[in-house]
Amino acid sequence: MSPEEIQQIFFAECEESLAAAESGLAACQAGTQDADTVNAVFRAVHSIKGGAGAFGYVALQAYTHTFETLLSDVREGLVAIESKLVDLLLRALDTLSDHVEAAREGGDAPADAALISEMEASMAANAGGASEAVEQAPAEPEVSEPASYDSDAESSSDYELDLDALLDDLTAGFDPAPAKAAEAAPEKRWKVHLRPHSGAMRNGSEPLLMVREIASLGGECVHCDISQVPPLDAFDPAQGYLGWTFSMPEAASEDSVREIFDFIGDDCALAFGDDAEIPEVIIVAAAPKPVPAPVAPVPVSEPKAATPQASAPVAAAPQPAPSPVQEPPADAAAKAAPGAPPAPPAGGQSIRIDLFKLDRLIDLVGELVIAQAMLVQRLGANGITANEELSLLETLTRDIQESAMSIRAQPISSVFSRVPRILRELASSTGKHVKLDVIGETTELDKTVIERLGEPLTHLIRNAVDHGIESAEDRIAAGKAPEGTLTLSAEHRSGRILISIADDGAGINRERVLAKAVEKGIVSADAQLTAEEIDNLIFAPGFSTAQTVSNISGRGVGMDVVRQNVKDLGGRITIDSTPGKGTTFILTLPLTLAISDGMIVNVGDQTLVVPLASVVESLRPGDGEVQGLGSNRNMLNVRGRFIPIVSLRSALGASSGALTPDEGVLIVVDTESTGQAALLVDEIQDQRQFVIKSLATNFRAVDGVAGATILGDGRVALIVDVDGLVSNAAPGQERQAA
Amino acid sequence: MSRTTRVLTVDDSASMRALLNHALSTNGFEVSQADDGVSALEWLAVNEVDVVITDINMPRLDGFGLIEQVRGGTRHRDRPILVLTTESSDEKKARARAAGATGWIVKPFDTDKLVAAVRRVAH
Repeated sequence: MSPEEIQQIFFAECEESLAAAESGLAACQAGTQDADTVNAVFRAVHSIKGGAGAFGYVALQAYTHTFETLLSDVREGLVAIESKLVDLLLRALDTLSDHVEAAREGGDAPADAALISEMEASMAANAGGASEAVEQAPAEPEVSEPASYDSDAESSSDYELDLDALLDDLTAGFDPAPAKAAEAAPEKRWKVHLRPHSGAMRNGSEPLLMVREIASLGGECVHCDISQVPPLDAFDPAQGYLGWTFSMPEAASEDSVREIFDFIGDDCALAFGDDAEIPEVIIVAAAPKPVPAPVAPVPVSEPKAATPQASAPVAAAPQPAPSPVQEPPADAAAKAAPGAPPAPPAGGQSIRIDLFKLDRLIDLVGELVIAQAMLVQRLGANGITANEELSLLETLTRDIQESAMSIRAQPISSVFSRVPRILRELASSTGKHVKLDVIGETTELDKTVIERLGEPLTHLIRNAVDHGIESAEDRIAAGKAPEGTLTLSAEHRSGRILISIADDGAGINRERVLAKAVEKGIVSADAQLTAEEIDNLIFAPGFSTAQTVSNISGRGVGMDVVRQNVKDLGGRITIDSTPGKGTTFILTLPLTLAISDGMIVNVGDQTLVVPLASVVESLRPGDGEVQGLGSNRNMLNVRGRFIPIVSLRSALGASSGALTPDEGVLIVVDTESTGQAALLVDEIQDQRQFVIKSLATNFRAVDGVAGATILGDGRVALIVDVDGLVSNAAPGQERQAA
Repeated sequence: MSRTTRVLTVDDSASMRALLNHALSTNGFEVSQADDGVSALEWLAVNEVDVVITDINMPRLDGFGLIEQVRGGTRHRDRPILVLTTESSDEKKARARAAGATGWIVKPFDTDKLVAAVRRVAH
């Protein structure tokens, strides 16, 4: 895995962490302020900080450090959770999100100085213990560099069975020769005395490795104190009976020796200098032995409690060592530290899979569904039906399909969780404070749909706040609460997902919409439109109801783009607006992009599929509803509006099928480029889900055909490209609009 | 030369695991990964390891909880365990030590220090 790929993982994690923090803080805001919630927010920020440090995003790391410290204080109860603090945390989170963005895009880090001082002030005001956090610069280099790790350290990995080396280590002290040699050397050497005691062997530590490291620094053992070794029957292998004095070369610094013992800290007594002695032996009863502890009346499970004594001879070392051995503020803190904080509830384990593999699986499952349907049909043709094994196979196939789909499914909360931020930004730019209600945020839908839902949803929300919800004064005048409410909801309904964005604002001002549409030439001045049709005018390209184009929703993208986005997802958008009460936008989306809903229709001997996302309604025209236009064109009168009729037979060049509206059925479809049209087909056979196969990949791109699918009987049916077909078939003024 | 040193890295952050994996495997260690304390224990139940490196803050079972479980068990009781910590304060070290950690690696780590720390404790 390349560093770039690892960075990609990091940024994906950042997104998850930001969403987790957002929802945690939202919970805090709503009153859920328990330890788990706060800890989840802390962990999210902590995780971003860790990665930021690892990847060298200094600004991000510095910022997250302050943020994390504040959260840590909150977690420890040093800073009280009150609405002002939650507000600060939310703003800090917004800036964190900007920081992540800047790190990812390589842009300038956002200005965070004010926010950092605000966070620091909050810590200082609440705790007084904030100073530690502030002075601990995040990018500060940590423990000093180890002197060297060369081949000696390398070779230590094979000592496991190396008894000779072990004996050498142990017997070195019995041989006075090296000591003399060392003392006689002209080089100025210095001495270090050490005695690991029982604690040094706790926690999987191995003092021998440290002794070896000293040797690798050039240290020579000049004395080994074996005076404390007891008779064999009293020998406890867990105790430290031996002490050593090493003569160190001048080049080896005292710090490099301390570094070796960093991990075991005060479990190995150290003394530096020629006049110092090997620290006294400390014997502590090993945990399982019922022998009374000779040193201190401490619980045997806490051998560490004996350490204060160990430090005494070190501190008393007469030779002025460059710096006295640092005693960690040790035991009190160590004891106070709980062994393990309670594990937070399972946050859902996950595994990352290459999307390509997943899509391949989903494709194959799609094939499986088709193969199963073909089998049923084939067996049915041979008179084999209502067979137990067959229905079991059908159930299993359906279960597999659902499971495969659910792998791609994600809860919509990942989109909804961004909404609070949007509302906060809108509140500061428009002054309209809006309360958010979220319903059904655990509803799951396809990852691709989720990813592409963000933009239209954001636009609809901005639109709702900007245009829908009135100013506080207007609301009070209308007898409403000064604060508007935005309700987001998501639910599954008959294999599709319904997402609604409801505001309790003024509703669509239909007079103004109509006037505007007339002014823009979208409808004629004398058009008789229903309320619903007027509402839908806001989706017309180039339409904007804002009297002044604001920088909120008027960003060059209109509602027409929103509708196009939703349609690209195979979905539809509808409006339900009541003057004075508010407006609700309802998005109907497929659960997945891999499988679509379609209408199976017949044209002559051809079976075709019309994607349901385009279908508005289907009808058999009544008397006088069809009007001729020129020699070979017909128009359908749909409630006073004329739309072109496109015969699929002639559009696709089929050899048979309905040519005139009275011979078949009309399907009214919505197209982006040319508005509505009515497709003429012989009959509508069925409505069902289908798996889209690309024609371009398997054959070649064909005008008017969006793709192909395999029907239950194994035949291939072409999927109609409604947009392309209608604009090709209608070469009039509509074509220009395309 | 004896066999490769086997390291288990435990971190809920996939990017941190990937970094550890990259740094360790390029230095000749054999690396396995677990994404939290619970999966680490599950892995340890059926695998052998020389050194465990664990993050502290993790969902389900955090680093200290993992150490407690490992030290309380029999099979890997004496295994060296290094904790990943973002602070090198004495208090944090004492806490890690008290919790049963063999040593620590301060994040962000550089590869040399990481490898040195692992070698220092690898039996």
